[in-house]
Amino acid sequence: MKPMFLAFAVVLAFAPNQPASASPLLDQYAQQAKSDSPDFKEFTAERGRDLFLSRHNMGKPETPSCTSCHTESPLKAGLTRAGKTIAPLAASASSNRYTDPAKVEKWFRRNCNSVLGRACTAREKGDFITFMLTQ
Amino acid sequence: MSTDGNSGPASNPMIWDLPVRLFHWSMVAAVLVASITGYFLPDWWLNVHATAGYVLSGLLLFRLLWGVVGSRYSRFGGFPLKTAESKAHLRELLHGRSKAYTGHNPVGAWMIILLLASLTALLITGFIVWGGQENNGPFSTVVGYKLGKFTEEIHEFFAGLLMALIGVHLAGVLVETVFFKHRVVPAMIDGRKTLSSDEKPVTLWHNLVGTLALASTVLGIVYLAVTVGESQARTTPLPATYKQECGDCHSPYHPSLRSLASWRTLMENLGDHYDEDASLNPQKTEFIASFLKENDAEKFDTEAAHKIGRVDTPSHRMTDTRFWQKKHDDFKPQAFKHKAVGSKVNCNACHKDAETGRFDDARIDVPKGVKS
Repeated sequence: MKPMFLAFAVVLAFAPNQPASASPLLDQYAQQAKSDSPDFKEFTAERGRDLFLSRHNMGKPETPSCTSCHTESPLKAGLTRAGKTIAPLAASASSNRYTDPAKVEKWFRRNCNSVLGRACTAREKGDFITFMLTQ
Repeated sequence: MSTDGNSGPASNPMIWDLPVRLFHWSMVAAVLVASITGYFLPDWWLNVHATAGYVLSGLLLFRLLWGVVGSRYSRFGGFPLKTAESKAHLRELLHGRSKAYTGHNPVGAWMIILLLASLTALLITGFIVWGGQENNGPFSTVVGYKLGKFTEEIHEFFAGLLMALIGVHLAGVLVETVFFKHRVVPAMIDGRKTLSSDEKPVTLWHNLVGTLALASTVLGIVYLAVTVGESQARTTPLPATYKQECGDCHSPYHPSLRSLASWRTLMENLGDHYDEDASLNPQKTEFIASFLKENDAEKFDTEAAHKIGRVDTPSHRMTDTRFWQKKHDDFKPQAFKHKAVGSKVNCNACHKDAETGRFDDARIDVPKGVKS
């Protein structure tokens, strides 16, 4: 019990210095989200979760939602249509998932287009990553 | 089998030396393995087939040598091959008579010459196919795909011929045994037969030296095959960017599997890549396109490059080529949905060397449960 409490205290102690985001990428998205819409406050994991789980049916017929390839659980490995394993999306299951901005942007560009039929907004990207960081 | 020429319970002296008998029965076993793997088993037994070929090469090499320096009845020079004698023997046979020869009779001697000759042709053509089509073995760097493919027909012809000759050989042995009551089969086991008075039986010396020579030729050839002949795998390593970017969604296909025209079309339409957005930034697109240009199907001489890479399909899919379909036609559609496979384009689920573009038959390893 005691180590748990200590760990929690450490997290709390550092928390004020790092509001919401733990990655420079999220800060970038936050800046852009603010300039997109002045009433943006912060990313939420709930909105990210909805984006991930919803059946959008707006992009390519083969991929109505993120879960078409990534499965319902961010902790599980997914499968591409060509049969290749996709590492889990949850940050806890694949470290370095959200550290390379070029790679993250590449996949948002491709997959938002495939699933939503359009590019994702900075807010959607931030929500999505925020959700995955909690998983 | 006794190694001594003059002792033992049998009253007959030994005329077939031990190495020639060992040669005979080892060849029977190796030909059996080669025919079963060649005629009946799936492609991925081809390495066993080739190994039988190496063993047979060693055996044959020994036999040709032993036919010159071996004991009296093993030497080709002592075979009753003269036309007049052969004709006379044939005429005798047609009248239902066959005189007992100490060694081979003329028809039997000719049979051995034919068997050894067709086996020689079978081995040479086999290694040309192995080198040309599979890029393996002693001819892998000298024989091209087309010669290998063409030679396969000749190899099959000689295989058929050898099977027919074996049939005639067995029929002959049967007739000699049942009809003429000659001691043919036991003699090939214990080496003993009746001997005319002016001839000397096999010596211990022949048995020892010959057996040593037989073992060292076979082991030597197999050793050479394992250490030198089979290690000439020519591969082009895939660049990291190619492996990373193409390999994100599917196994990174070897560039030799598509033509330059196909690659160009695919690279120009990455935004709609089989209903996926696979677009890349201009630098990476440029890098991958130039790698493909330098390594397309025309640049490789493998079976896969010829039969799949150089064959364009409207969809640009490899799986739409006739060769691909023919080679996979005994797999049910569900087999490709198996979780160890995933899809038809996940080549390396079974082809362990897919990334090298070689697609050796011997490197096929179908995961358990896929083929059922």
